[in-house]
Amino acid sequence: MPCTCVTRHLPCTSGAPLDRVFGSGHVTEGQVGDIFSDAAITAALGRQMTRAVQRQAVAAGNLANLDTPGYRTREVRFDDALNAELGGSAMAATDARHFGSAATGPALPAEEEVAGLATRRDGNNVQLDRELLSMGRASADFSAAQTVLAAKFRLVRYAINEGR
Amino acid sequence: MSTLIGAINASASALDAQRARMEVAVSNMANAESTRGADGQPYRRREVVLATKDHDAMSGHIEAAGVEVAAVVEDQAPFRRRFEPSHPDADADGFVAVPNVDVPEEMVDMLGAARAYQANLTAIGLIRDTVQKALELGK
Repeated sequence: MPCTCVTRHLPCTSGAPLDRVFGSGHVTEGQVGDIFSDAAITAALGRQMTRAVQRQAVAAGNLANLDTPGYRTREVRFDDALNAELGGSAMAATDARHFGSAATGPALPAEEEVAGLATRRDGNNVQLDRELLSMGRASADFSAAQTVLAAKFRLVRYAINEGR
Repeated sequence: MSTLIGAINASASALDAQRARMEVAVSNMANAESTRGADGQPYRRREVVLATKDHDAMSGHIEAAGVEVAAVVEDQAPFRRRFEPSHPDADADGFVAVPNVDVPEEMVDMLGAARAYQANLTAIGLIRDTVQKALELGK
């Protein structure tokens, strides 16, 4: 049976079905190529861009409320989501009746108030420099991911055009 | 994309609000000596009340919170009184009630509004760069 893999991972001898390449199939033990597959990299870059956009949007909201009395600075927190994700993968559910199986899905990043900022007399604690820095940083993150993704797409286009 | 459009809308709402704040400060300064308004009373200092636009942080949907001008209220502080018997609006004791406007205070308010306006303009620029970058992927 001919190999249907569209990505260049480890030498493929198994004749893996196409869906494995896109990460929907189960992971075979001992294969290291999975996290390097094109689909995984593209998905990760996409996530990085989404997070950057979310951080930028929340910072824009904070800046918009620079002078709103009683407004509290908001922030998107990812560490909780990351921890949940890391903790979740350590325990594999091999039976549908297991608790905490993957069916719950990844934890979503939450929008929270930031603690420990100096509050003005009107109850507002937005700090201009902090928010502008946060926006700039998110912008740089987005830019970096976009550059890599563009390079990735260029390679795909190169392959589609048979090197022309 | 809708997150970015939402962010631009939030920043635009802030530009609107800050411009309103500047307009009110300017009108306060312009009328710092207006002793006769439409109701025959001296001009009362006006103030802009800003409020966060309805925004559901608990929905799990991350978006930018906009701002709006909730109201423009009149400052109820008493009018200042100045001794000026020759003034047509002077009372029997020769005192004129002049608006409760403090010009240096208005100047400071204007500076604050200008800075906030600038910050939001910068934010819009950064978001626009992000949109531009995202569109470049399609080239």
